[in-house]
Order: sequence, then C-alpha cells, then structure tokens
Amino acid sequence: MNFSMTEEQLMLKDSVAKYLQDTYSAEHRVNILKQTRGYSAENWQTFADLGWLTVPFAEEDGGFGGNISDVSIIMEEFGSALVIEPFWSGVVLAGQLIARSNNDSLKKHLMPTLMSGEQLVSFAFLEPQSVFMLNHLTTTATKVGDNYLLSGEKRVVLNATADSILIPARTAGDGSSEQGISLFLVDANGPGLQRDVYRLMDGQLAMDIRFDGIQVSSARMLTAEGEAFPLISEVVSEALVALCAEAVGAMNHLYKATADYCRTREQFGVAIGTFQALQHRIVDMFMATEQCRSLLMRAQCSILDGSSDIQRDVAALKVMIGKHGRHVAEEAVQLHGGMGMSNEMPIGIYLKRLMMIDSYLGNKDHHRRQFCKLRYCA
Amino acid sequence: MHTKLSHQELAFQEDVRVFMRENFTPELAEKIAHPATFKSATIEWQKRLDSRGWAANGWPEEHGGGAWSATQKYIYCNELAAVGAPDVIPMGIKMLGPVLYSYGSEEQKQKFLPATKSSDMWWCQGYSEVGAGSDLAALKTRAVRDGDDYIVNGAKIWTTYAQYADWIFCLVKTSDEGRPQGCISFLLIDMKTPGISVSPIISIDEEHHLNEVHFENVRIPVGNRIGEENQGWTYAKALLTYERTAIAGVAYCKHTLEKVRKLASQGGEESLSLLDDVDFQARLADVEIEFMALEFLELRVLSSIDNGEAPGMESSLLKLKGSEVQQLVQTLLWDIAGSSGGMVPDMHDAKALWECQGNVARREYMFGRAATIYGGSNEVQRNIIAKYALGL
Ligand SMILES: Cc1cc2nc3c(=O)[nH]c(=O)nc-3n(C[C@H](O)[C@H](O)[C@H](O)COP(=O)(O)OP(=O)(O)OC[C@H]3O[C@@H](n4cnc5c(N)ncnc54)[C@H](O)[C@@H]3O)c2cc1C
Ligand SMILES: Cc1cc2nc3c(=O)[nH]c(=O)nc-3n(C[C@H](O)[C@H](O)[C@H](O)COP(=O)(O)OP(=O)(O)OC[C@H]3O[C@@H](n4cnc5c(N)ncnc54)[C@H](O)[C@@H]3O)c2cc1C
Repeated sequence: MNFSMTEEQLMLKDSVAKYLQDTYSAEHRVNILKQTRGYSAENWQTFADLGWLTVPFAEEDGGFGGNISDVSIIMEEFGSALVIEPFWSGVVLAGQLIARSNNDSLKKHLMPTLMSGEQLVSFAFLEPQSVFMLNHLTTTATKVGDNYLLSGEKRVVLNATADSILIPARTAGDGSSEQGISLFLVDANGPGLQRDVYRLMDGQLAMDIRFDGIQVSSARMLTAEGEAFPLISEVVSEALVALCAEAVGAMNHLYKATADYCRTREQFGVAIGTFQALQHRIVDMFMATEQCRSLLMRAQCSILDGSSDIQRDVAALKVMIGKHGRHVAEEAVQLHGGMGMSNEMPIGIYLKRLMMIDSYLGNKDHHRRQFCKLRYCA
Repeated sequence: MHTKLSHQELAFQEDVRVFMRENFTPELAEKIAHPATFKSATIEWQKRLDSRGWAANGWPEEHGGGAWSATQKYIYCNELAAVGAPDVIPMGIKMLGPVLYSYGSEEQKQKFLPATKSSDMWWCQGYSEVGAGSDLAALKTRAVRDGDDYIVNGAKIWTTYAQYADWIFCLVKTSDEGRPQGCISFLLIDMKTPGISVSPIISIDEEHHLNEVHFENVRIPVGNRIGEENQGWTYAKALLTYERTAIAGVAYCKHTLEKVRKLASQGGEESLSLLDDVDFQARLADVEIEFMALEFLELRVLSSIDNGEAPGMESSLLKLKGSEVQQLVQTLLWDIAGSSGGMVPDMHDAKALWECQGNVARREYMFGRAATIYGGSNEVQRNIIAKYALGL
C-alpha cells in the first residue's frame, strides 16, 4: 500500500499548478469566454507544448505513458483554476477512446495530431431517451457497401468546435443491448450533420446534433463491428474518475477561498471567521472535500489494481461528488454573503461548474441507482 | 382550533379566484417574466390589484388597506400562487408602507402613501453598504445638515431594482456620538436628484437585479427624513420584521412544488416519469412535509398579527424556514430539468430558451441562493433566536 506521489507526479503537479497560478486568473477566464470557440486556442497550444496532452497515452503511441493518477493530478489542478479548455472531453474521454481502440491505422494517423493540439475530438454519448445509460442507444448505423449510414440524435456534445465527433451507433441489437454497438469517427463539419450550438452555465460551448443517413467509411470505425461497448465502458469509467478529480480540485479551492474570505471580511468589528457558527461550516466543507478525495483515491486504486470493484467504486465516487460538490459550493456562496451572489466573484462559477460535473455521464441519483444495482441486486 | 372557511371567506375566495383568472392573463404573465417588459407589466399588474384594494391589503383601512384577517391573507396568497401570479414587489408597499404610516409626518403620508399604493412610485431599499451587510449599523453613507437640506455622500450596494426605482429609502449616518445605532437617520430620496448614479451588478443567474447606488453631494430636503434625526435605526428595525415576513415565500413554494409534481409526472425532458421512481417520491415527500409545516407556521404568524401582536421572533423563524424550503424546492426543480437546465441564453434563440422550463429552473435555483442571505442572513437570524428566544 502506498498513497504517496512519485517524484515525477510531484513535478507534474507543481508545473501545472505554477503555470495556472501565473497565467490563469479569473479575468483571463472571462476573456477566454468572449472568444467564439469557448476556450483559448493559444492556451491549448501551450498545453500541447508543455506535453500535457500526451500524459494519458502510451509511450509506444508517442505519449507520456501516464495512468489515471497522472491524469487526475492535471484534472485536479484544472478544477482548482476552473480551466475551461477541453482537456477532459478531448483528451481523457475522446482521446482515450481512440488510443485504446484497435483501429491501428486510424490511431497512427490521428494520435500525433491530438497530442500536438492540431485536432480535437469529442464523444457524443447522450441521447434524448438514454437517461445516462451508455447502452441505451437508438442511433443506427446501416452498412451499405464499404460505408455506414448513420441516423440519430445526440445531446449536450461537449466542445462544440471539435474537428470530429465520436458517435456510438447500433449496427445490431435492440434498445439496451451491450452487443451491437459500434463507434464511428465523424467529421464535425461534414455535410448532413445539423448542429445546434449553445453555451452551458459553466461557460463551455456544447451542441445538440442530428443526422439522417450521413455516410461514414468503415475505415473510421474504432473497433470490430458491434464490439465497441467494452471500450466505451472502460474509458468512461476512467474519465468519470478524472472528472471527479476536477471536482475535488474545485472543492479544495472553495473551502480554502472561503476560509481566506472569512479571515479577512470584518463585520461587527471582527473577522467573520471568528464566529463559531461559520467555523464549523468551513470545517464541514473541508471534511466533505476530504471524504471525496478518499473516494477518489479509492477509485484510482481500483483501476490501477485492476480490481473487479471498479464500477462500484466509480459509482460511489460520482454519488458523493454530486452531493458534496454542490453542497460545498452552496456553502461557499452563503458564507461570502452578497459577494457570493455576484458574478464578479468566481465563487458562483465554481458552483455552476460543480453542478455541471454532477450532470455529466450520470448525476448522483443515476449513480446511486447503479451502486444499488451492483451492491444489492447482483 | 380549526381551519374551516366561513361563508364570507368562501365568497372572498371565489371573488379572488375569478379576479385572478380574468386579470392574470398569459400575456401579462409573459411580460412580467421578460426583463425588457418586467417593469411596465409589473406596474400594470399591481395597478389591477390596487383597483380592487388588494395591493396594499396589509395597510390600515384609513390609508386604503384591506384590514384583512389572517384567513383572508392566506386565501389571497394561495389564489395568487395557484395561477403563479407574483405578489407586489415588497420594497414600497410591504416594507416602506408600514414605516410611513407608523412614523411618517402627515405631509409625508399624503405625499407618499397614495402613490406607493398605486404603484406610481417604485421604491428601492438603500440599507446595505460594502462594509455594512450583516453589521448594518456600520454604514458610512453620510448626511450632513446644510440649512434645510442634507448633503448626502456615500454608496449603497446590492440595491435590488434600483435601475427601475423612482425613489430610494436610505439609512444614513448623521452623527458620530455614542452607539452607532443612535447615529442613523432614515431618508427618502428621489432617484432623479443630481449626484446619484446607479451601476449594475450581474448576479450568478446571469441577470441584472442588483446595483450599486452612488451619492455624490446629493442635496435632500430635511423634510424627507422619517421621524427624528438619529432615530432611523428604530424605524429600520421595525421595517426589517415586515421584510422578513414578506420574504418567507410560502405561496411561491406551494406553486413551485405543484410545478415540480406536474413536471415529474410528465417525465421531465428525458422521457422518464420521475414520479414513478421511489427515490424521487421520497425526496419530494421530504420537501412537501417540510412545506406543510411551513404553511402552518405562516398561519401562526399571521394569526398572531391578527391578534394585534407585532411580528417578532416568529418572523425570524418564518424567514429562516421559508428561505430554506424555497431552496429545497428550487433544487428539486433544477434536478428534474434535464439537459436544458444547464443552458444559458447568451447566444442561442434567447427568447425560446428563456421560456424553457430548464432555464427557469436554473435562474430560480441560482437567484434563490440569495434568499438565505438577504433580509438578514440565516446565520444572523439564528443568532437572534438564540439570543432573544432561547436566552443563550
Ligand atoms: C460514555 C463516556 C465516557 C467517558 N470516558 C471518559 C474517560 O474515560 N476519561 C475521561 O477523562 N473522560 C471521559 N469522559 C468525559 C468526556 O471526556 C467529557 O464528557 C467530554 O470532554 C465533554 O465534557 P463535558 O461532559 O463536561 O461537557 P461540556 O464540555 O460541558 O460540553 C457540553 C456540550 O458543549 C459543547 N461544547 C463545549 N465546548 C464547546 C466549544 N468551545 N465550542 C462548541 N461547543 C462546545 C460540547 O461539544 C457538548 O456538546 C467520558 C464521557 C462519556 C459520555
Ligand atoms: C439578492 C440580494 C438582494 C439584496 N437586496 C438588497 C436591497 O434591496 N437593499 C439592501 O439594502 N440590501 C440588499 N441586499 C443586501 C443584504 O441585505 C446583505 O447581503 C446581507 O445583509 C448580508 O450582508 P453581506 O452581503 O455584507 O454579508 P456579510 O455580512 O459579510 O456576511 C458574510 C457571511 O457571514 C455571516 N455572518 C455575518 N455576521 C455573522 C454573525 N454575527 N454570526 C454568524 N455569521 C455571520 C453571514 O451570514 C454570511 O454568511 C441584498 C442581497 C442580495 C444577495
């Protein structure tokens, strides 16, 4: 048993933290949001130059060879600074789906451009009826000669300016079968893809997409036909852990920022942090963050150990992050008084980000149901 | 002890119900909901209520109030809530009104009460300052006597709807001697007076409700002071208890819970009927049970006012519990909103999205976080109960 970080991990953590501290201020973020992409292309290039976009990928693919802990280190720092660049959706989620697929020629061609920051991919997992179940798919892919014709509808596809989109679709099987799901790489700007772009409350640009019979070459299918589900399931589990690491970073920032504020804000002639009623609240924020961190480490361990409890541990983590994440942020708003309600302070943005994190890939209610299924109904 | 309605009360209920149906039209509701038409539509709505003598129903009869019983107030609020109609904006009629008729001079009553009642005078509340929130007595905006005028300098913050207001009622410092509470005066200030400027604060619901109001050498006639110089604190405190009773939001909770129930039975946006889900049922039940108790707490407060007692400790309790239940209800509403709950209408078809249920849920949840902060934060309310009710 060992929970300490390696030398290399400490260096990674320090360098990400230092870079963000020097450059990623709240004002910087506000300026980024004014750009049409919803994130800064310049920052993305810097992330690439610093090698961060290679961290999760295997050395033989040209990556850094990092594991879920390394990815979580970056995500936690990103959460703490509210980084808006699409690292999670583009690298951790879509990038890993490509990297772990067995379409070698596609991989060879695409991975270098992902790691250099030239290309961005997004993964379109949510359908109107799917209620967060990755196997509840109605999008269809029909084989015609060497191509597939894809028809369907996907919601809340993150990073609306991605160059391509990974679309899971049914080549066989019924509504919720895990068999018969295939995964296609589709040009995001190609003909026949209707896009409805909007902004989410955490600042990101997302979109709903619709397509009716768009043509995709079978060379752009990531696994053998109908066999994409295990890949999706594995990558999504890890991506959930990484996302929760971001949440822990945000929570960590919030309890510290709130403690700092209460140390300096004076009312009734004293710092409000001297009121015991507030002290206990901040202690509870801290405790909630540490509870989440423990589950985060537990989930990482089960992935690294190849445990059979990965699904359960990930579900437990997502439940707690959903519950405590919002609560910690609500408390931060409350203890900042009027300042917490103003968009001039970033406190509210952390609240919005944590609420969006809860909604991605299944909220706390969904994951609690999954947890119950795994623990009590197996 | 009973809650049965008498024949007269039933008739009153029917009267209000019919009025709401005929006057709170979908067109008016839509106009009130949109920022661009909010002010004019709100005034129109309040004028309609006033035409029946209902806008200032809590005022004494001699000033055009309704002299309503607790039961009538309860019936009225329920009928408002049933159609989702807003009660009057509280600052003028509910907060300042009682101060005016209790402490104002004859001249002030004549000048301000009728125009306030008819919504021809839109008021905002200038209490809080950057350094004076919970510790209101620490305020620094100063009024210096100059002949028959005061010269006011300073700034107020978090002033709700100052961008719409014709007048602001302000607490200002008029002395440096003795306890800070004994140095404060209560002034009525015309927002058009030279030297006043208003700057917006965007809140976390991405909307503009809040403002900073700056005063630079603003000249105010001494005749606009309520009561005695340096006695403003007494009047302000009386007003706060009315404010707290007004912001418990019980009728709003009832209406919103009804909405949650309806949306959940339709199955939200993701096509699943939530009301069939036992988990969700249990969550909703927990909130409804809290609400049922809250509803009766409000009745207890109303009936004690009925018996001639000023709202006191119960108003703190009502504000505390009311704001907490509001937030529980808003959280439920957001949780069932589905993916549209996260969208903001800054680039999309703004009007369509504005009206979409998820968007309403987002805005109400976000702005609702303030209910435990304004009107005396919930922490401060708990301090008050601990000290004055429990002797701690
Ligand atoms: C079952 C049991 C076994 C015990 N065994 C031992 C033992 O083996 N050896 C031994 O030495 N003692 C023992 N104790 C005593 C125990 O350590 C004391 O009960 C404890 O320290 C609390 O002190 P008190 O009972 O005087 O309560 P108080 O200190 O009077 O506390 C009363 C309440 O006030 C709260 N409170 C006190 N100070 C503060 C503060 N500053 N801020 C906020 N809240 C505060 C407390 O949390 C508590 O809720 C035992 C007690 C129990 C109940
Ligand atoms: C949406 C909104 C609308 C508003 N509208 C108006 C308006 O129209 N007019 C107006 O004058 N004001 C208005 N306010 C201001 C409101 O009254 C103040 O925000 C409130 O009094 C709290 O003051 P503050 O924001 O300075 O917070 P602070 O007083 O700095 O409080 C910060 C935190 O410390 C806690 N705290 C403070 N003192 C104590 C204590 N003794 N013990 C324990 N905890 C304590 C508070 O509860 C809070 O959690 C509005 C505020 C909001 C958010």
